[in-house]
Amino acid sequence: MYRTLPRRLATGASRGGARVVRRRLTTEPPSSEPLPKKRHVVRTILLSTTVLVGGFYVGSTFLAFKNETYHEFFSEQVPLGYSFLQYGEDHHWDTMTVESVIESSKKTLASAQRYVTDTLSGAPSTAQEAKSAVKNTKEAAVKAIQDSKDRATSAAARIKTEIKKETSGATAIVKHQSEQFSRGVEELIREAEAALDKAKTTAADALEPPPTDTAGPGVYHAPLPVGFELPPGYARPSPPKKPEPSPADAPRLPLLSPELSSISASEPIIAHLAGTIDNLTAYVESNPTATAKAASVLETAKSDLTALATRIEKVREDERAGLEAKMDEQTREYTVKLMDLEMEAQDKLDGQEQEFRRYFDEERARLTQAYREKLENELQTQTELINERLKEEVIAQGIELQRRWIREIKVRVEEERGGRLAKIDELSANLKRLERVALDNSTYLDENLRIHTLWSALRALSSSALTSPVRKPFREELRVVRHIAAARDDPVVAAALDSLEGSDVPDVGVEPLADLSTWFAAEVAPKVAHVALVPDENAGLLSHLASRAFAGLRFKRHGLVSGDDVLSVLARAEHYLNEKDLDSAARELNQLKGTAKLLLHDWLEAARRRLEVQQALEVVQTQATLASLLVV
Amino acid sequence: MSTPKPPSSEDLLGQKYDRCLADFLVKAGVGFSAGVVLSVVLFRRRTWPIALSTGFGAGIAYADCDRSFNPARIPGTRIISQLPEAPQGK
Repeated sequence: MYRTLPRRLATGASRGGARVVRRRLTTEPPSSEPLPKKRHVVRTILLSTTVLVGGFYVGSTFLAFKNETYHEFFSEQVPLGYSFLQYGEDHHWDTMTVESVIESSKKTLASAQRYVTDTLSGAPSTAQEAKSAVKNTKEAAVKAIQDSKDRATSAAARIKTEIKKETSGATAIVKHQSEQFSRGVEELIREAEAALDKAKTTAADALEPPPTDTAGPGVYHAPLPVGFELPPGYARPSPPKKPEPSPADAPRLPLLSPELSSISASEPIIAHLAGTIDNLTAYVESNPTATAKAASVLETAKSDLTALATRIEKVREDERAGLEAKMDEQTREYTVKLMDLEMEAQDKLDGQEQEFRRYFDEERARLTQAYREKLENELQTQTELINERLKEEVIAQGIELQRRWIREIKVRVEEERGGRLAKIDELSANLKRLERVALDNSTYLDENLRIHTLWSALRALSSSALTSPVRKPFREELRVVRHIAAARDDPVVAAALDSLEGSDVPDVGVEPLADLSTWFAAEVAPKVAHVALVPDENAGLLSHLASRAFAGLRFKRHGLVSGDDVLSVLARAEHYLNEKDLDSAARELNQLKGTAKLLLHDWLEAARRRLEVQQALEVVQTQATLASLLVV
Repeated sequence: MSTPKPPSSEDLLGQKYDRCLADFLVKAGVGFSAGVVLSVVLFRRRTWPIALSTGFGAGIAYADCDRSFNPARIPGTRIISQLPEAPQGK
């Protein structure tokens, strides 16, 4: 379809071009400028050849991709053809379609147009480019923001969905995460504290040399949050100054704790008290102004404390004595109790022994019982096993017996079957014989029927052909006979009937014997008698006349007379005809020669026809008789 | 019956006789008349030309008739029947 249109267009265009050229040739005056025309001629030739060659090569390449034979021709015969094909395959010309060509051409056209417009617009384009670049970046930024937003929302949604999904395992995860988080927080706190300390120290180190700066404008008094550091230019306030070391040469006060160590070992409260007093002492010692006053107080405290310690000792001794007395009393009581318990235990042991004995007896009885039971079980199992074995044996024997019986039955059945089969064979043989007899009978009957029909047809034929009083055609009867005889497939009958049917005798019929006889007696015999004396050869008019003259003078002979002359033969033939022996009569007359034979020709022909039919019918009759005899 | 049926073979001789008679009469008559004319015109009423011409006619008729009875007889020829062994009686 698409091939026809361009061709028509091309032809139209060419026609139009030709017309234009012709018009120009007719209208314009020739030889306006000879020189440029020459140059033009050369150029047009070059151009046209280039275009033609290019077109040929490109077209051939496309055609070669379409047509196999042309492909071979183009690649082998045309110079540079193979390389062109290679180029075309590299650039996928073979798979190119019209749509793709149009598409690509459109694309190239658009790009070219864009290029042209760009080059034409020139300077304005740069500003525009810049604008567009800005716009682009803006758009890109917006897009990126949008993207990130989208991504975030999607992530949130995803997280949400995940959380929703994992409601079951969420608590555990949350707990774990919280633990981790708390641990991380703790670590962080720790780190922060360490960092703070470090910062503090550094700040302190840094701020120590100028002490006036502590209350400067850069001091930050408020407590800092955890993990935060001060911005540059700010500093923590310096820590309070360390106390001045006390002078070492102060009068020392007596310490209680080493002295009361013996007591404090047993009484921790006293030791504690001593420690407190020592502390006080230490404090007092640190305060040099009070040392003198405190010494006496300390002494009293010491004496009181020792008195307290001794008092405590005394009280303890008393307590111990009381406790010992109590212990003795309790010992006595418990010994009595022990005795009672011993007695009781003895009784209990006796009871237990009896019980054990009883238990032993019972156990023995139980064991014996158990063993007996076990034994009985064993016996039972043994008997069961034996019984089972016996049963199995019985079953095996039963199976064996059954098998034997089955075999026997099979044998019996086989014998029976054999007998039955023999009987059936006999029956089938009888049946076959019967069948054969029936078939024979049927064939016999068929044969009989056929012979009967043949006989009937033959009778009809002979009645119509031979014994009828007038001459009449018997083609129909002959056809019937032939049809019936054809079923029997007898060659003799077929030959006889064929010979009869081949002649025209059935159409004209045969003369009846009576007609033949009268014909002979009335017409043929006297005329033959007139030429009886005519010689066989050179019989002229005179001899004929003489024979006619003298024949009347001769005696007429009758009956079966001997002699070869014409009159005797005629007499014999007449005699045979009187005896209805046409065959012999014809034989006699057939012996005549010369003019007599000539005169007898027609009659002999008729007689021979009749004799032929008669003979054929006799043959068929004989065959039919033979067949009927064969059937019986 | 209307169409000229070939005659029966036994009537062959009778036909020949009939034809011969007719032929004889015609030819003898023609000879006679010719003789009469000749005798009157040429021979001054003599009788012998009449007899001669009548004889000619009768002779011609006879010859024709004889030839019709025995077509094999041609003047100057003789048919010799090759008689085999013996002429068997007669």
